[in-house]
Amino acid sequence: MQRLLLSLLLLTLFSTLCTAQEYAVIANKKMPRLTLEQIRAVYLKKLQRLDNTAMVPVNLSANDPLRKRFEEHVLRMSFQRLQSYWSRQHYLGRRPPVSMKSQESALSFVKSVEGAIAYVHAAIADDDVHILYRWSD
Amino acid sequence: MPLKTLLRHTLLLLCLLGTPPLHAEADYTLGEGIQIGSLPVYVGGYFSVDYRNRDDEQRYRIDDIALLSYGGNSTLSYMLELEYKEFYVNTRNGGSTTVERDTHLYVERVHLNYSINDHYTLRIGKYNTPIGFWNLMHINVLRDTTSNPVSSYILYPMFTTGANLTYSSFEQAAWHVDLIAQRSKAIDDGYNNYTIDRHFGLGVSYEQQRFTCKLSGGYFQKVPHRNNPDIYYALVAAKYETDTYHIQAELGSQRSSKTATTPYAGYLQGAYYITQRHIGIARYESYRNDLLDESDRFFLLGYTYRPLYPVALKAEYQWHSEAAKNQLLLSFSVLF
Repeated sequence: MQRLLLSLLLLTLFSTLCTAQEYAVIANKKMPRLTLEQIRAVYLKKLQRLDNTAMVPVNLSANDPLRKRFEEHVLRMSFQRLQSYWSRQHYLGRRPPVSMKSQESALSFVKSVEGAIAYVHAAIADDDVHILYRWSD
Repeated sequence: MPLKTLLRHTLLLLCLLGTPPLHAEADYTLGEGIQIGSLPVYVGGYFSVDYRNRDDEQRYRIDDIALLSYGGNSTLSYMLELEYKEFYVNTRNGGSTTVERDTHLYVERVHLNYSINDHYTLRIGKYNTPIGFWNLMHINVLRDTTSNPVSSYILYPMFTTGANLTYSSFEQAAWHVDLIAQRSKAIDDGYNNYTIDRHFGLGVSYEQQRFTCKLSGGYFQKVPHRNNPDIYYALVAAKYETDTYHIQAELGSQRSSKTATTPYAGYLQGAYYITQRHIGIARYESYRNDLLDESDRFFLLGYTYRPLYPVALKAEYQWHSEAAKNQLLLSFSVLF
């Protein structure tokens, strides 16, 4: 009985580890390596040019679960705090990042636009993009 | 009608014409403006009304009615802000009532921004002086309380007309350096706390995760020069911000070689998000103004309700070192 319980416990633990999701911040191939602070600055439109290339951060749609993960882990800001941030930026003349409806759209955009940066499930990030940062649940 | 007034009203009309029938975005978000067609041009605005009860006086006011327009690209962009200030003021004191109206359309901000390279940006025109935290977000709907801290309008010119060169760096932390220069008559100097034609300043800020600090200093000269000496100021500011609370403080001094001015003015403020819609604020302020031979210390308790972030209903009460200055302030403001 004890062996059975131990086996079940190990199996559950193994399954959890296997299903842990990994995510990646990706950029156009020409993008240089960015620190996490720089990625955050790009998405908050504080850093708008790098190597004389315009930065184009891409969000997923507001109700996408990955966007919430990105905002909490990378931007370290809650949805409400970001709402207040972008209202203040509107007064300063700055717009929030553009939104794409799917990770596939974001991936395609990043491949074709120099300076573009987005976040996707790591599994769909291929060799045509530059992976800047990885994180997992 | 003078040419300047005609131009301002024409610009206002153009901003208003750029609204809903021409906007490209299907879903509008309050507080983020409207895009004009598919152009990189955006229009927004804000308004505020407030009420003050102090001693035996009650004041009702339509304070701000403003239009914003901005746009451009990552290299070149512009900002234009036109505003009616104190559009309607009704003051009741004892048994008498006075009504004042200011229908002048002020140019609060107008500037071009040019991104020179990755690190340097040049701004030319009339802009919020980048000193401290409060002055950059001083409009009612964006600030924490109905009232402004005394230090935000007594120490330095709130607006500068000239050039602002900014250096920014983002590695493990963010650094910004601002150089401010004005050496000419101001644009619409009726909308400023000081009427100046000289202003030179330097500001350095450091931002690491939730903490930001700024150190600034400069000098300006009021007009006419003959009666006004150079005035020097310095200000230190710090802020710590999380999702549930923020604490910020500013402390500055203003001096002149010829006249006494303001040895110190500062505040310490905390804001706590009871929920994301209900915010409690407490602020302590202290200042000394030798020019007017007055000083004050006061404590403020405030409450803000934001059903949506760009909508703010605020209440505050101030307890002053002189009881006659105690006051209640209420306001309603919207950013669109």
